[in-house]
Amino acid sequence: MSSLRNAFADLMVETGAQDEKIVVVVGDISHGLLKDFRENHPDRYFNIGICEPATVNIAAGLSRVGLIPIVHTIAPFLIERSFEQIKLDFGYQDLSGNFISVGSSFDYSKLGCSHHSYADVSLMAHLPNSQIFLPGSALEFEIFFRESYKSKHINYFRLTENPHGIEIPQEDIKVGKAITVREGIDLTVLTTGSALRNCHEAVEILEHEGISAEIIYLPTFKPFDSDAVRKSIMKTKRFITVEELSAQDGVYNAVLRSIIGLGGVTGKQMAIFDFLRTYGSYHDLQNAAGLSTDHIVQAATDLLQGKVEGPSY
Amino acid sequence: MGQSLSGVNNSDLRLRIIEMICKSGEGHIPSSFSIVDIIEHLYGSVLNVNPDNVTWSNRDYFILSKGHGAAALFVVLEKYGFISALDLENYGTNLGILGGHPDSTKVPGVEACTGSLGHGMPMAVGIALGLKIQKKENRVYCLVGDGECQEGTIWEAANIASNQKLQNLSIIVDWNGSAQQLMPIENLEGKWKAFGWKTQVIDGHDPLSLQESLNKSAMHSTGMPQVFIAKTVKGRGVPLLEGHGPWHHKIPNPIELVEIYKVLSE
Repeated sequence: MSSLRNAFADLMVETGAQDEKIVVVVGDISHGLLKDFRENHPDRYFNIGICEPATVNIAAGLSRVGLIPIVHTIAPFLIERSFEQIKLDFGYQDLSGNFISVGSSFDYSKLGCSHHSYADVSLMAHLPNSQIFLPGSALEFEIFFRESYKSKHINYFRLTENPHGIEIPQEDIKVGKAITVREGIDLTVLTTGSALRNCHEAVEILEHEGISAEIIYLPTFKPFDSDAVRKSIMKTKRFITVEELSAQDGVYNAVLRSIIGLGGVTGKQMAIFDFLRTYGSYHDLQNAAGLSTDHIVQAATDLLQGKVEGPSY
Repeated sequence: MGQSLSGVNNSDLRLRIIEMICKSGEGHIPSSFSIVDIIEHLYGSVLNVNPDNVTWSNRDYFILSKGHGAAALFVVLEKYGFISALDLENYGTNLGILGGHPDSTKVPGVEACTGSLGHGMPMAVGIALGLKIQKKENRVYCLVGDGECQEGTIWEAANIASNQKLQNLSIIVDWNGSAQQLMPIENLEGKWKAFGWKTQVIDGHDPLSLQESLNKSAMHSTGMPQVFIAKTVKGRGVPLLEGHGPWHHKIPNPIELVEIYKVLSE
């Protein structure tokens, strides 16, 4: 399974050779991986160093003169630390550019909360001109990037270190489109990014228990494919959202907006409600967040038994 | 310098600033008076810009990083034909394109939306870097407040600009002493110098000083960005408004307005 970060480096080499407008600006992350791009285009590669807000300001200046900035560093520093720069210098000024993060959610599981980012996606969603991608495989990222990088949007690509590993037909991967990974009738499991892996495992376990669950995978968070979501939930009437995102404004909230008016629907939100203060593996932190395969199986079982609880805000 | 009686330069522009701000009830008069001579000089005899083609690819860029001085920029843009007298009339209303801070998506000739301090200058660094990448000859000018120099992004970007040897970039610091009212920045020139910039202290209200410095910025580029630390007076031109009293964001009452008009019309 190729890593998304390697795919990023390869894509920069490929598209950088074809498009002289691409300028890569990094905050001392992936410097080694980007060696080929750096050596091929030393005048279009800048390791700006450890100053993320100014890096975003500068990227806006590059965009202002018609270049295509690719800004890359760890998610909390790229988005949460620098959000006013993104909001004003790209959003308010209606400039386009590409933000590519690593360290999705709690990927840096042994480094602690300073390197976690749960609210990056909801922050970026507030920008009227943004597109947001949470690819769970290298192929998804490649398809989304190629189609979007020179659009007039602010594109945010949240790269995970933990690809979901589920094989998805290439023709199903489209910007703005949900993917029905598995069809079912008893409930809908909606997820995005790397969380698809646990959802897939959970649905297989549920199948052995005689429960038919549908998986709607949303690697594009914005634009949100409300039609596909509504159609699935209209059929199953029960849903669970599983997301490595802040509980405050992520997949669950987008799903609720998509199903307004549908009667008799029950749902459960599985998301991040608090700082994950533990250390350990990625899977340890999934467990701490209540996002493990077992948690999903339990939530689905509870939902089907009518044990509906509100999210623990 | 320091005189604010009749004969002050650009008294016509200062009057227009007063008219706009008093009519709408919004704006920063002393900050605008502090920088209006610099901006007028830039548009009058330094910048290579064309009001009939504001997106001309060979234009010089000017960014007002201290966006709350927008009224000064607007009256100069009107003087040089980028916007109309009607635009000034409609300042601060929903009929127009002008408000308390400049909006590049609305105002012809405005290159950046500024207002939150510490954004315009690093964006100017990005523009200068982008022009360098494209091997273009355009120059970039950016006006920064001395109080704004307390923002961390100014120094983040200052370090980047000198490392990238952005000789196409000139920063003018409006050194009106605002920073001294807050958390003083001692030896401002020395700090810029330490960050690898070519520095020069100038008089921000004196046409000769502005000409000797800004008009020669291109020919004096020596592989490093330049900063002109312009000594200015906040509220320059009207004694009532000068200094760091209550006037930063205050609108004159009718009696005060009579006095202001009298001074600027003498």
